[in-house]
Amino acid sequence: MRFVLRRLGFYLLAFWVSVTLNFLLPRFMPGDPVSRMFARSQSRMTPEQITQLQKLFGLDDRPVWQQYVDYLGNVVTGEMGVSISRFPTPVVEVIAGQIGWTILLGGTALVIAVLLGNLLGILAAWRRGGALDSFLPPVLVFVGSFPYFWLAMGALYLFGVSLGWFPLRHAFSAGSSPAWSGDFVADAALHLVLPAVTIVVVSVGGWMLAMRNTMIATNAEDYIVMAEAKGLRPGRIMFRYAARNAMLPAVTSFGMSLGFVVGGALLTEVVFAYPGVGYQLLAAVQGLDYPLMQGIFLTITAAVLLVNFLVDIVYVRLDPRVRAS
Amino acid sequence: MMMTRTRRGRHVGRALAVAVAGALALTACGSGGSGDGSGGADAAGAPLTIPREDMGTFVRNFNPFSPNVAPMTQQAVYEPMFVYNPADGSTTPWLATEWSASDDGTALTFSLREGVRWSDGEPLVAQDVVTTFELQKELLGGYEYLETVEAVDEGTVTFHLNRTYAPALYEIGQQIIIPDHVWSQVDDPSKETNENPVGTGPYTEVLSFESQSFDLGPNPNYWQPEKQKIPAIRMLAFAGNDGANLAAANGEVDWAPQFMPNIEQAFVAKDPEHNHYWFPPTGAMINWHLNTTKPPFDDVDVRKALSMAIDREQIVDVAMQGYTHPADCTGLSGAYDAWRDEDLAGSCTWTERDVDAANALLDEAGYPRGADGTRTHPDGSPLTLTISVGSTSSDWLSVAEIISQNLAEVGVAASVDAPDWSAVVASYEDGSFDTGIVWSNNAPTPYQFFRGVMSTATVKPVGEKTFENYHRFGDEDADALLDEFAGTNDEDAQHAIVRELQAEFDAEAPVIPLFPGPEWGAYTDVRFTGWPSEENPYATLNTRAPTTVLVLTTLEPVKG
Repeated sequence: MRFVLRRLGFYLLAFWVSVTLNFLLPRFMPGDPVSRMFARSQSRMTPEQITQLQKLFGLDDRPVWQQYVDYLGNVVTGEMGVSISRFPTPVVEVIAGQIGWTILLGGTALVIAVLLGNLLGILAAWRRGGALDSFLPPVLVFVGSFPYFWLAMGALYLFGVSLGWFPLRHAFSAGSSPAWSGDFVADAALHLVLPAVTIVVVSVGGWMLAMRNTMIATNAEDYIVMAEAKGLRPGRIMFRYAARNAMLPAVTSFGMSLGFVVGGALLTEVVFAYPGVGYQLLAAVQGLDYPLMQGIFLTITAAVLLVNFLVDIVYVRLDPRVRAS
Repeated sequence: MMMTRTRRGRHVGRALAVAVAGALALTACGSGGSGDGSGGADAAGAPLTIPREDMGTFVRNFNPFSPNVAPMTQQAVYEPMFVYNPADGSTTPWLATEWSASDDGTALTFSLREGVRWSDGEPLVAQDVVTTFELQKELLGGYEYLETVEAVDEGTVTFHLNRTYAPALYEIGQQIIIPDHVWSQVDDPSKETNENPVGTGPYTEVLSFESQSFDLGPNPNYWQPEKQKIPAIRMLAFAGNDGANLAAANGEVDWAPQFMPNIEQAFVAKDPEHNHYWFPPTGAMINWHLNTTKPPFDDVDVRKALSMAIDREQIVDVAMQGYTHPADCTGLSGAYDAWRDEDLAGSCTWTERDVDAANALLDEAGYPRGADGTRTHPDGSPLTLTISVGSTSSDWLSVAEIISQNLAEVGVAASVDAPDWSAVVASYEDGSFDTGIVWSNNAPTPYQFFRGVMSTATVKPVGEKTFENYHRFGDEDADALLDEFAGTNDEDAQHAIVRELQAEFDAEAPVIPLFPGPEWGAYTDVRFTGWPSEENPYATLNTRAPTTVLVLTTLEPVKG
């Protein structure tokens, strides 16, 4: 319990530091939202409209510390204000409209990559020097080091345009609406395949290598030799003795990655026109939409810290050594 | 062993299923609102499909006073009193049938078309126009010359101006009109999202709305029902040009208004019979702005000499892929062909490439060329300059590169600086930039263009933020001409004044015109015909312009 409380205190501190950074960083960027909007409209807006827009958006010209105090209050109450680049939609609504797709895409891709990567890592390490171990790691690292944009475009052209197996864009067919029907779920799943698979392909190599390396270290431990000497079945040793211990670093990275999933997958969203938070964040940064930027950063920060906290707790379950210390 | 593994497998499977279901549930909550099931527009035949390349997702906001309104609101849902077409210079009466100015030009009277109904069945009345301008002034500003708007009777509106202002007619006439009976009930029009808009336009009914696409169906009470031949309009969201271009090349969208590099190969070659494009040079003039608060750019001879060093043919052919043509010394883009002084345009000197003359002019102006071939200021320091362009505009970036190469031939070292657009624009706004490639004002008359490049009224000191006249050049002769233009409604007099303004532009070279911006636009006539083209320029292929409604009411489905 003391361990959990101490961790909780640490996370509160980390949260404060990151929300403060969220507040400060956007304000260091040059320009202001309205002149960004004006510049982007390239002569379709008149200069007279600018002051009016500044008034409309209720842009702050109060001292920064005062804005900061208000901001901290709003963070606590979850009040994120109104998006500027999406005016007059509230930030909460902008994020809520996208985050489901982001979690669906990022979560699916991450879970598949982790399961597949770890399983391959375990097997490769178990039969060290075997076909799997000598062939897969270089190939996966090679594929993973391709620029993602290129790989995704290639996959889109090959499987989407040339072969026509998968839809080219979006999370479901245009003209349909999300519903709990078999047709819709099948449609959404089909749209998910290419974006998710491309992410899995570039990320699985890292998971596999990490798992393989810790697994090799674990295989050399005395208790493995002991288990073998006692005549336990190899499968049982592999999964219950070696993998279970080698899994710990993977759990940590899984937690980290899970938290970052809510940040969206910008390039995937751009290539496959998949709805999500990543493009919103890019648009917010380009438009200097402080409220939306802060809202998204806050969501990411909160998710990363929350998931890490959960991982810490899971660790207590998984690793008795943490409990003892 | 088998047992252990299957049990584990089942756990994982269940966890995965829960995760996916949870994410789907979140999605369903987030995107709610449409609720009318999977209706869509497909039932009535293929919708006119249009990509929107700069919006990764749509937000259901049809408030025309919002700066981030959903696409097509100003084009398909609401309509203006008349439509001006820059491609052929014509004006089409729309919600108004005729209009006139009082003798002193301070009162403009519009007669509204009879029989126009809003999509909810209410008739269009003069009060709608009055409310429109009240809201527009209150929420978005502008129209500072407008004193009052008066509903004379049900079908007549008079605009009282506080001074004679010639450009007012086009600004007022192209303002889209909203219904008073709806908007007078709205508590806070600035924050209204207007999810189910009531408009006079051809396509007002939101059939389905998702963040990645939405469908607009025909207005049941449209005033020219014989022109509603498109079953529906479908907008698709894209987070960048690549996705939108792929959809166009693949024949999945009918109308592609975004920039496509190498369009002959990437688009036309896919289906030469049906895929077409037309890029009329009616966009804003693209200029090279020299910050005239910094020497040597305050010297008109230097500006002209630098201009003569530039190879506009190369810029147009290489950087702009031949999609436009070189500018002339009137500064006017293709949208102002009717205003251009052809004699002047035919005898331009400083917009033609002439390296020898450029060298001679620079020598004469007192910027000697040293032994190493580079020029210096009169005080001996090297003559160098920076060209700022936003890093994302690859076409303008190559324009800057070509200028930089051209300038080397006259001994001026120009470096290209390409940070993010926001940083570039910030330096334009506060006047700290050296030189930059900048768009210019584009409006139905050249008044706004000339005002933006050489009126003293638009000059702000360095350090103070400005949103036009970044190069900070003011000319009192031009001021007088501009005032004269604004003060007359006589078209012949206006043309005479614009000729004088062109002569003034030619004499002063306030900015260095490069090429008129093309209006991008491509289409496929597999499903719809009747597109505007060079032979039939009844509109441009722009989907965000006032002329868009002309295209929407002309297209018809291909039979068979």
